[in-house]
Amino acid sequence: MAGVSMKDIKSRIKSMESTKQITKAMEMVAASKLRGAQDRAIASRPYFEVLYQTMHDIADANTELTSPFVQKPRGEKYCFVVIAGDRGLAGGYNNNVLKLAMAAMEGKDAMVLPIGKKATEYFRSHGVPILNTLYPVAEGINAGECYTMANSLCREYLDGTFDQVVLCYTNFVTVLTQTPSSLPLLPLSIVGSGKRPEGHQPLTIYEPDSVSVFNAIVPEYLGGVIYGALRESLCSEQAARRTAMDSATKNAEEMIEGLSLQYNRARQGAITQEITEIVAGAEH
Amino acid sequence: MTYHLQIVTPDGQYFDGQAERLLVPTINGQVGILARHINYVTALGMGPAKVVTEEGERHAACIGGMLAVTNGEVKVVATTFEWADQIDVERAKASLARAETMLADPKADDQTRTYALARQKRARVRLSVAEKK
Repeated sequence: MAGVSMKDIKSRIKSMESTKQITKAMEMVAASKLRGAQDRAIASRPYFEVLYQTMHDIADANTELTSPFVQKPRGEKYCFVVIAGDRGLAGGYNNNVLKLAMAAMEGKDAMVLPIGKKATEYFRSHGVPILNTLYPVAEGINAGECYTMANSLCREYLDGTFDQVVLCYTNFVTVLTQTPSSLPLLPLSIVGSGKRPEGHQPLTIYEPDSVSVFNAIVPEYLGGVIYGALRESLCSEQAARRTAMDSATKNAEEMIEGLSLQYNRARQGAITQEITEIVAGAEH
Repeated sequence: MTYHLQIVTPDGQYFDGQAERLLVPTINGQVGILARHINYVTALGMGPAKVVTEEGERHAACIGGMLAVTNGEVKVVATTFEWADQIDVERAKASLARAETMLADPKADDQTRTYALARQKRARVRLSVAEKK
């Protein structure tokens, strides 16, 4: 009998079947998690639109805003907030965002605030200075923790621990497309459009005054952006895992098909050989 | 007279419709907004909020964020906004108890104290609003 024995093929088929079951199960778990994550990501979008719009309006109405959050970057010390997943087997999800972060911080005086287990492990093993590891698990961080994070980032920023803050996360475009992206957070890049209507000044009351309102809103805004990015990332992770597991299942199916064919051929070969042997025996 | 009011939080939209009157806590105290208010922006504090519509009034607990009135459109962008009937009373009570144990600890540092005080206040706001259901 040529090639591998029937027993070997059979055991390979078996192991392939169990792999397929695992990937199939993971795909289904990811699909159901994705649905929840997608709903949550969509539910929070109106909040950001309104928040962003209002920040712009304030910036538009004040040409001389003297907040420490909107000045030109005072130095080159960076802090990267990097959001990755907690688990692997999600296609290129973790790798893509970590590569992007690494490329962005190359040659810069940078430290990292990793969010998620994969990010924490990656930066630790690459010897990148880490601000803190308060967020080792990305899944399950709630809005409150994001606001705490934003507040402490703002405080460290004002203290001069770093001069610029950049956020690296994965943008959920569609179920099939997720793009890693980086977003400068501090100092705020929100600059008024400068197109104020001539002669007629938009009259808005800021209470107590525009600068204190602005300074009160900035940590809020940052927390909101981080929370939104986190939701987008979690959603992307599930989508990436679902796609990866779907193709893994398909590959397993293909392999099983190929192996079954091989098995049947081997079986046929064995039977033919046996018959030949019997016939040869009977002729003598 | 009514105006268009929108209340949004990171967890979704809580109100989108016509309102007669809105009462929210700001960093400088309670502020009421009626129709045809001048353009106005302020940061929100922590406390009870009230929305009066044609159907009646609704109470809510509102924590942080901002209030913006632009050309007659009113937007409340809150960190947390919970209607009185959505408040988890048990959770608020547990949170209040936890805050109080933290405050009672003489060894607590300043940061823990500030945190516990904020937690205590949030829980109290929630509990007082939940009673108005």
